[in-house]
Amino acid sequence: MFHWLEKHPFLFAVGVFVVIAFAGLVEVLPNFAQASQPIIGTKPYTILEYAGRQVYIHQDCNACHSQLIRPFKSSTERYGHYSLSGEYAYDRPFLWGSERTGPDLHRVADYRTIDWNEKHMINPEALVPGSIMPKYPWLYKDPTDINTAYATQVAAAEFFHVPYNVPIPLKNGKTTIIPLAPNLAAAHAMALKEAKAIVDQGSDKTLQEDVAHGKIPQIVALLAYLNQLK
Amino acid sequence: MKINKLYVSAIVMILLMLGFTYIAVGMDSKSAGGDIVNDLAILGAIVIFSATIIVAIKYVRQMQTDKATGKLAEDNWDGIGEYENELPIGWSIIFLGTIVWAFWYMLFGYPVNAYSQIGEYNKDVKISNAKFEKKYTNLTKTQLTNMGESIFIVDCAACHGLAADGLNGTAANLNKRIQVKSVEYVIEHGSDNHLSAHELATGMPVMSAGLTKKQIHTVAEYVSNGFDKSNKAGAKIFASTCASCHGADGYGTPYVAPNIHTFTPTLVAHIVGHGKHGGIGVMPAFKNLNPVQLKAVATYVTAISKGE
Ligand code: HEC
Ligand code: HEC
Repeated sequence: MFHWLEKHPFLFAVGVFVVIAFAGLVEVLPNFAQASQPIIGTKPYTILEYAGRQVYIHQDCNACHSQLIRPFKSSTERYGHYSLSGEYAYDRPFLWGSERTGPDLHRVADYRTIDWNEKHMINPEALVPGSIMPKYPWLYKDPTDINTAYATQVAAAEFFHVPYNVPIPLKNGKTTIIPLAPNLAAAHAMALKEAKAIVDQGSDKTLQEDVAHGKIPQIVALLAYLNQLK
Repeated sequence: MKINKLYVSAIVMILLMLGFTYIAVGMDSKSAGGDIVNDLAILGAIVIFSATIIVAIKYVRQMQTDKATGKLAEDNWDGIGEYENELPIGWSIIFLGTIVWAFWYMLFGYPVNAYSQIGEYNKDVKISNAKFEKKYTNLTKTQLTNMGESIFIVDCAACHGLAADGLNGTAANLNKRIQVKSVEYVIEHGSDNHLSAHELATGMPVMSAGLTKKQIHTVAEYVSNGFDKSNKAGAKIFASTCASCHGADGYGTPYVAPNIHTFTPTLVAHIVGHGKHGGIGVMPAFKNLNPVQLKAVATYVTAISKGE
């Protein structure tokens, strides 16, 4: 009955592949589609958080810090609830990392504050004796690239349909709206407003002055990014 | 002659394999001879090699001599045919058994016993929690303080410092109940950290009305320095403005206002579990500590605040 198949080895190989792949698709795809949905409480990045994420990538923080808490008692005791795939729904690319020279950062905002990070990044040893983390003084001077952050944000909204300007459900049952600026000038204004809220929670007077004068040093964006890791 | 050749090559092969085994194992003088497991492994290897070769010889000889009989099947492939033999009974049993097993596995075997990483994690947590409870139920004060110290080093020292001095204003100095700066902040801004540890308790209202900056500073110093009796002016302001809620010596009134004279384990545990914001900054809540750990770190902090 299937003699003709045996006489066409290439077709036969393709047929075998399709049949086996079909089983794979049925097993993998629905689960994958479900797990990649954002979970309640996962929000798209604001403009300043996006900029901070770029700083994080640019400085290679992910070379030493992971963002993936594994389901082990020892890990969850230290870092909090194990990571869920939906929490990375808006990460392109995700920053899981594969190396823990430093600690995991996936929920760092649960146990560190903006003020602490602000003091830590400029001189880690002052807060953590013996820390081998380098100092990042230039982040306190170099300006944040809001243009690229806005471009990334618009791309995320247009191509990946990341939900900006619509209500996002939160864990406490309420909703919030993450705005996407209509144009570049508005994006800059929006970032500056966010930056002000961030430096007000810190204690570095120079940063507060910078923001008051319309400047956003990279550290402010990074603080915004770190503060939403939870 | 034919048979001899077969046997000779079989013996050569066995010897060769044994030789390889010897080289593989014997290269490392410690593994050969030293451990019975290695001897057993070599013995096993000899048995497996020999059995393989003997069986191979049996079939080779059978192929050389066998004359097949029976009815040929209709299909043939490039002249190679197939006999219509009966199914071997053992094979049929295994075949049908596999089908039955497949249904069992699909409907019960897999769904009931399926492995899940999170399932294993949950089991792990349960076991380790049970172990913790068993080991640390009735702790003496020293044990509690020691446990508290290790938790403090891991969870708190990053902000409060190893000496609990607050690292230059990064966090509260825990060597005393409260700093001047914090008291001033509370008087001027009020406080809603639920420090009274009661659902119905409201926070502290802004109390700066009717007090000058200097008076606020004076009463703050009085409170911060452990209700310093020599600070007469401070004591007076406290008695008239604050004592109605906090009690004459600041030890607090249940459900109304917290103890601001000393730390107590209950107060500290409440702060650690709920977080706090005030004149110095923000402290996050620590939800990952279990009740015993919370009590331990609270006991430790209470002890250092009293200079113990
Ligand atoms: C109406 C009652 C009331 C009065 C009057 C009052 N307090 Fe309080 N006080 C509270 C309550 C309630 C809290 C707990 C606040 C909270 O839950 O965050 C508190 C907390 C405090 C704290 C602890 C803050 C901390 O960060 O640990 C200090 C210090 C304090 N009060 C000082 C004073 C002083 C000094 C006065 C007088 C000027 C005063 N209080 C008057 C009710 C009062
Ligand atoms: C991210 C930094 C941070 C960490 C980590 C931290 N704290 Fe705090 N803590 C603070 C800050 C900031 C304050 C001061 C809040 C204020 O302004 O009153 C504070 C205040 C406190 C107070 C209250 C002092 C008062 O006057 O009422 C206690 C008690 C305390 N911390 C204990 C702990 C313990 C125990 C731990 C570890 C489990 C811990 N903290 C971890 C930052 C931190």
